[in-house]
Amino acid sequence: MSARWWVPLLGAALLGAVPWIGDETIMQFGIYLLLVAVLAQAWNILGGFTGYPSFGNSTFYGLGVYGTAIAMAQFHMPFWTGLALGGGLAMLCALLIGLPILRLRGPYFAIATLGLNAALSALVANLDVAGRNIGLILPLTRNDVLFYEGLLALLLAATLAVAWISSSRFGMGLIAVREDEDAAAVMGVDTTRYKIAALVLSALFSALAGGIYAYYVTFIDPASAFDPKLNVQMVIMAVFGGPGTVLGPVVGAFLLYSVYQALASSISTAAALFYGVVIILAVIFMPKGLVDLGWGLRRMGPRYLLETVRQYRL
Amino acid sequence: MLFAQILVNGVLLGGLYGLMALGMALVWGVLNIVNLAHGALIMLGGYAVYFLFTGAGIDPFAALPVAMGGMFCFGYLLQRLLLNLIVRSALLNTLLITFGLDVVLTYLAQLAFSADFRAINPSYAGANVTLAGITVPLARLAAFAVALLLAGLLWLLLNRTRLGRAIRATAQNLVAARLYGVEPRRLYAVTFGIGAALAGAAGGLYGVVAQITPYVGTSLTAKSFVIAIIGGLDNPLAVVVGGLVIGIAESAAALYLGPTYTDVISFGLLVLILVARPARSLRMA
Amino acid sequence: MSVAPAAPLLEAGGLTRRFQGLVAVNDVSFSLRPGEILGLIGPNGAGKTTLVSLVSGTLLPDAGTLVFDGRRIERLAPFRRAHLGIGRTFQVMKPFPGLSVLENVTVGALFGRGGGERNRAHARERARAMLDFTGLAPRLAQRADALGGPDRKRLELAKALAMQPKLLLLDEVMAGLNAVEVDEVVALIKKIREGGVAILVIEHVIKAIRSLSDRVLVLHHGQKIAEGDPASVFGDPRVVEAYLGKRRA
Repeated sequence: MSARWWVPLLGAALLGAVPWIGDETIMQFGIYLLLVAVLAQAWNILGGFTGYPSFGNSTFYGLGVYGTAIAMAQFHMPFWTGLALGGGLAMLCALLIGLPILRLRGPYFAIATLGLNAALSALVANLDVAGRNIGLILPLTRNDVLFYEGLLALLLAATLAVAWISSSRFGMGLIAVREDEDAAAVMGVDTTRYKIAALVLSALFSALAGGIYAYYVTFIDPASAFDPKLNVQMVIMAVFGGPGTVLGPVVGAFLLYSVYQALASSISTAAALFYGVVIILAVIFMPKGLVDLGWGLRRMGPRYLLETVRQYRL
Repeated sequence: MLFAQILVNGVLLGGLYGLMALGMALVWGVLNIVNLAHGALIMLGGYAVYFLFTGAGIDPFAALPVAMGGMFCFGYLLQRLLLNLIVRSALLNTLLITFGLDVVLTYLAQLAFSADFRAINPSYAGANVTLAGITVPLARLAAFAVALLLAGLLWLLLNRTRLGRAIRATAQNLVAARLYGVEPRRLYAVTFGIGAALAGAAGGLYGVVAQITPYVGTSLTAKSFVIAIIGGLDNPLAVVVGGLVIGIAESAAALYLGPTYTDVISFGLLVLILVARPARSLRMA
Repeated sequence: MSVAPAAPLLEAGGLTRRFQGLVAVNDVSFSLRPGEILGLIGPNGAGKTTLVSLVSGTLLPDAGTLVFDGRRIERLAPFRRAHLGIGRTFQVMKPFPGLSVLENVTVGALFGRGGGERNRAHARERARAMLDFTGLAPRLAQRADALGGPDRKRLELAKALAMQPKLLLLDEVMAGLNAVEVDEVVALIKKIREGGVAILVIEHVIKAIRSLSDRVLVLHHGQKIAEGDPASVFGDPRVVEAYLGKRRA
């Protein structure tokens, strides 16, 4: 673990101070940045540690969004109740879906989660209580600081959770599942229970993030709530930064989103192109993420890049 | 009568869907690459046929082989120069890199072709044939026929030619295939090329029966997934059947539940089938 | 002076397992007592690994019973059998590739018999002890997939031992080892047995089987064709025939 634990702490404190330093644009940028960082970290639990590549975490994000929105817009409940409902809904879904879906391996699991996302999105678009295709409008609150600090707190919680996982027996079990599930089972890991726990945890954080963000943007609809692009974004950020590490996903999210925004403001349309190219290059030259690349370059210098390609090419 | 019409609509649509999925299933089964840019390849094929039609006046069905040839070369190079670099990496990485590719291709297409809707409208586009009270659009019927033809040709290729044997051998066991003289890099590139050519053909046909924009790719990729899973990666003809299943299900859902439910049905089916039959490890062999 | 034999730790009754029409294990029964070493031999494809997988829970039987420590376990999940005290090594070795040697063995200590060690630090201690026992201590920080053949075998053994098993299933731990290495492993296994562990050993190295086994069980085409002490089994003409084929008249 990081011996320099005060570095992330300092970083968190600095981040916390931003609302009083920055202006509205910075806040807007910061809120979305924190959102994707939380989602990347949530994905990390299931995809990074357990090795189950979910392309459907946006399902739980969407459930958080809609749980909160329906509670507030249709039933006029307060925000915290709505948030709790959204989180609860996502966890319930994770428990119900988890058992059958987690029996699938590799690509089948990935596609099943993709399908789940699409199916749920289409289903919600047909429900009256969810506002069908038009969506819902939440009560307006101009309190960006609340949303910002809320998401920051959530990011801290998620990162602490991941830190705990990485040093605990539970985490060791997840990693064993990732490395070789059959061997893990034979060695005594209750793989089913562990996988579901990872899924539920991942779902919870995604949903809470969704609930907060829903309240922030005020207007939600199925397309944005279950957006598959968001899905892949969080996967890329986690993988870019370093799956299975504690700070990797956060670093990955911060870096990628910041550069994307910088490009978007200057060469707007090319920003999308940038994402695509970054992903392609990253998969070829740093498939294990930034953290691993850092170690590799320190050990071998630029030759590490060549070694990586040599290892994975046909 | 209505039921029969739905059935026919579904079958005609399903044939085309099956063709779309064919390329993805082939690449997945042989190269173990789940190509998230598959829809983008379909889209590009559609544009190729569109420009051959509007630019050079070639009938879309006649332009298909040309478009397929172009897509084959494109796919070959893509695999040879790019995808071969990560083939032995974790599967998640193939998903990510093809997603990145999808983003790049979609963006470039939008840059080159603008986001306008394009339809390929040959003179016979609106013509119908009525059989026993059922309306059968001629264009759709022709597309269906071509889809079946290509599926059949793929089956012949895989099962009756030397190349097909090499492809199947590689799908089973790359190491053993090498011992028999198969050059994997080229073979992988050829296989991907064939997949791209099939996608291109599907795109061209899609342009005749519907409209294309740079963004159609994403939902078509998803649909191809569903069908590839249902049909399995074993047999081209089974993939077509999978396409028919989805086509009919969508057609029926559109009528009985409403057009907004088609996605729920397709993807709900996908999840159900995956979960009900988890132990499928299949190859196009 | 006669001593009543200890009650059997493992009792298999009529175990059968099919794979799409092929009967891999056919009505096999045997028993094993604590501290006993049972050698399992037979030509390739005889069903030895399948039988072991039925005991470890990786596969479920189509018919038959399995009693371990007084409990019926033939339908129990693998991880629960591990908690009861069954450990195994795999013929096709399955280390956790991205983890270090120490971490690999720690997993065994964390999740083994009785649910394993809850405290990660204690588990690591036990892992270190097992690495010392198997001679892998110098390699504890290396990545598991960087190990050579004989070391991988030792790692498999250490992982299983860290689980503190009562029954150890060894699947061809000596394949590919030279004569000196085989002797070392034989000595290791004997030391394990001294701890009261019952051991089922699948092996092709006849010398090892002879020196290790209290009893030998021979499988051919999924069926038990001989069982007894090594001398009588190896002298049994049916066993010879199974390995060498029918002699032409």
